[in-house]
Amino acid sequence: MKRFLLFGSLSVLAVSVVLAQTSGRGVLRTDSGDHPFTYVEQAGHTYVSATEVVAALGGEMALDAGGYRITLQGVTAGFGSDSRYGVVRDDLIEMPVAPMLIDGNPFVPWQFFQGFLSKAFALDVTWEASGKLMTLRPQQREAVDVQVSVGNVQGISKIVLTLSAPAEYSVARGQAVYAVRFETPIRAPFSDQAYEDPHVARIRFSGNELRIHLTAPDIVSDVYRLDDPPRIVLDFRKGTPGVPLPGGETPATPLRPREVPGIQTIVIDPGHGGKEVGAVGPNGLMEKDINLAVARKLANVLSRRLGTRVVLTRDDDSVVSLDQRTALANQYSADLFLSVHMNAAVVRGAQGSETYFLSLEASDELARKAAETENASAASGSSADLNLILWDLAQQAYLDESSRFAQTIQESMNAATGVANRGVKQAPFKVLVGATMPAALVEVGFITNPEEESKLQSDGFQNLMVEALASAIERYKTEYETRIGVIQPAAAPAAASANNTETSGATASPQGATEPE
Amino acid sequence: MKRVAVGSLLLLLIAGACKRETETAVNANAANKVSTRTARLYFEAPEMLLVSESRALALPESPAAALPLIVAELMKGPAGGPLLRLWPEDTVVRGAYLVPGGTAIVDLGGATLSAGWQVGSHHELMAIYSLVQTVTVNLREARQVRILVNGSAAETLGGHVSAVRSLRPMPGLVHPSSR
Repeated sequence: MKRFLLFGSLSVLAVSVVLAQTSGRGVLRTDSGDHPFTYVEQAGHTYVSATEVVAALGGEMALDAGGYRITLQGVTAGFGSDSRYGVVRDDLIEMPVAPMLIDGNPFVPWQFFQGFLSKAFALDVTWEASGKLMTLRPQQREAVDVQVSVGNVQGISKIVLTLSAPAEYSVARGQAVYAVRFETPIRAPFSDQAYEDPHVARIRFSGNELRIHLTAPDIVSDVYRLDDPPRIVLDFRKGTPGVPLPGGETPATPLRPREVPGIQTIVIDPGHGGKEVGAVGPNGLMEKDINLAVARKLANVLSRRLGTRVVLTRDDDSVVSLDQRTALANQYSADLFLSVHMNAAVVRGAQGSETYFLSLEASDELARKAAETENASAASGSSADLNLILWDLAQQAYLDESSRFAQTIQESMNAATGVANRGVKQAPFKVLVGATMPAALVEVGFITNPEEESKLQSDGFQNLMVEALASAIERYKTEYETRIGVIQPAAAPAAASANNTETSGATASPQGATEPE
Repeated sequence: MKRVAVGSLLLLLIAGACKRETETAVNANAANKVSTRTARLYFEAPEMLLVSESRALALPESPAAALPLIVAELMKGPAGGPLLRLWPEDTVVRGAYLVPGGTAIVDLGGATLSAGWQVGSHHELMAIYSLVQTVTVNLREARQVRILVNGSAAETLGGHVSAVRSLRPMPGLVHPSSR
């Protein structure tokens, strides 16, 4: 009995300590004034009444299948009572602990509102424990350091702006001048500097803006963004302007027509590279190596046969991020993008080739999000999300052509090689998402099948595959240019006219670009 | 011994008395009633499509509570027969949550996924959609699945399929007999 009494009292004490709560009234301070709400403190965490805070912000909250749904100025967010992840649009909000129900009322860690309001409305949310005060204010942005490098490679003047942190910006073009305007404060490395460069005469910083003064008014620029570290790259040259990338010159417009009709530039993307080896065959053959070998051969054949510029996204065993591969294609204003891969499956004996283009289902969902984000961005003044969404939507405008391109590739692979036909398919492949041109991903064969692994590393089979891919690209080019009127139907060259299997000759440049002879 | 017990109770009373503000009781989610139900788990068949295996599981009635158990069961692989395991054997289910809007968040870990899964397109596609299919078929509250790796959003799991958005089922990957 004594033992029981002791055990019982200790258990009650333990439970009491764990569940000990303190609640009271806090204040939510916004532009419109102070609003009281109920808070609860438990186990070192502060929870706030979601119902009361949402009401104070002018939003609505309703019970949903997975928890609670919040609608605030057209933006939807939510949380569940069992999860320390909430959602705003399709983005996650991480909380230190899961929300809880108290007397049937949902209480969330105050950090839920910090994540929600910063992601959706660019607001800073702070909690002062001593004063029980939750404050909302526009985000204070720290100054971003900008480093500048200018170089000229093969006639292209490349300005690289390396940033200490990601920053929103816009690019405006004037008479012989480009202005890069940051939406955050910046720290400039100099105020004014002159350059001995064929295209760039001078760079001046003023406030949050830098101006690039050009040597002539007809110089155009491709502007794109690279990550890790965050960089803005401006390529200046005489010629056709490229299509801007997310975060670049105003919102990127995927439908922007290229000035020279027809297929002038083709980007071939050897999948994986470096430490990202891709699939590995039973005898140790690495996908990244075969992808590169096939892509190099294909680039050589295409540049000789078609008279187009052919660019490789990598020409060595290096890591290139998926976004950078597509960004490169956009930078070159490519008219066609083909990613080359070898397949893998758990099914023994899996064999054959298949060709993918981007899944439409993903795009439909994104289109809805774009409209939603556009509204939210207009309200918050933030364009970062909108640019991201536009990047995600870039391929949507080209899905019909991508489907035709994938079909042409697959037909040619079947006809030329006799490998099993696994058909044309759609999938949400990341490398295809941001491409502003017809784009496909071909899986040449199954490296996990010992028989196909052996074939894939033979020169003869690789050449056969390269010929099939080159013929498909040539046929697609002819058909596309006929459709858009660049080639008159009667004058269209026979797609199958060139059966040259030559794979040697032109050598890719250090940048991976192979110019026609 | 009595003294100790009485002392503990006194401490408890004092702790309670020190609270100046209102004390409320936690309404931790009502205890879930567990019952044996048949879950359909999707694996790859020799035809290279997803086929379901039915498995009797003791599952809570709450969909949110059942979700991690179903995902963990999928990660165990097929019971046998012709179906094939798709996920790496060392995959760990760190958590699985159901949130409003019909999104199931599945947080995975383990050495293979953490190091970057070296895998081909078809394998990666089938693995990811075996998870999406399993979750959405067994929980009508879940319409889409967002996959995290070690608690963070991942661009892809193996270099192909975009994991930056929630994924919906792709019926074309499922054998007609298992749709």
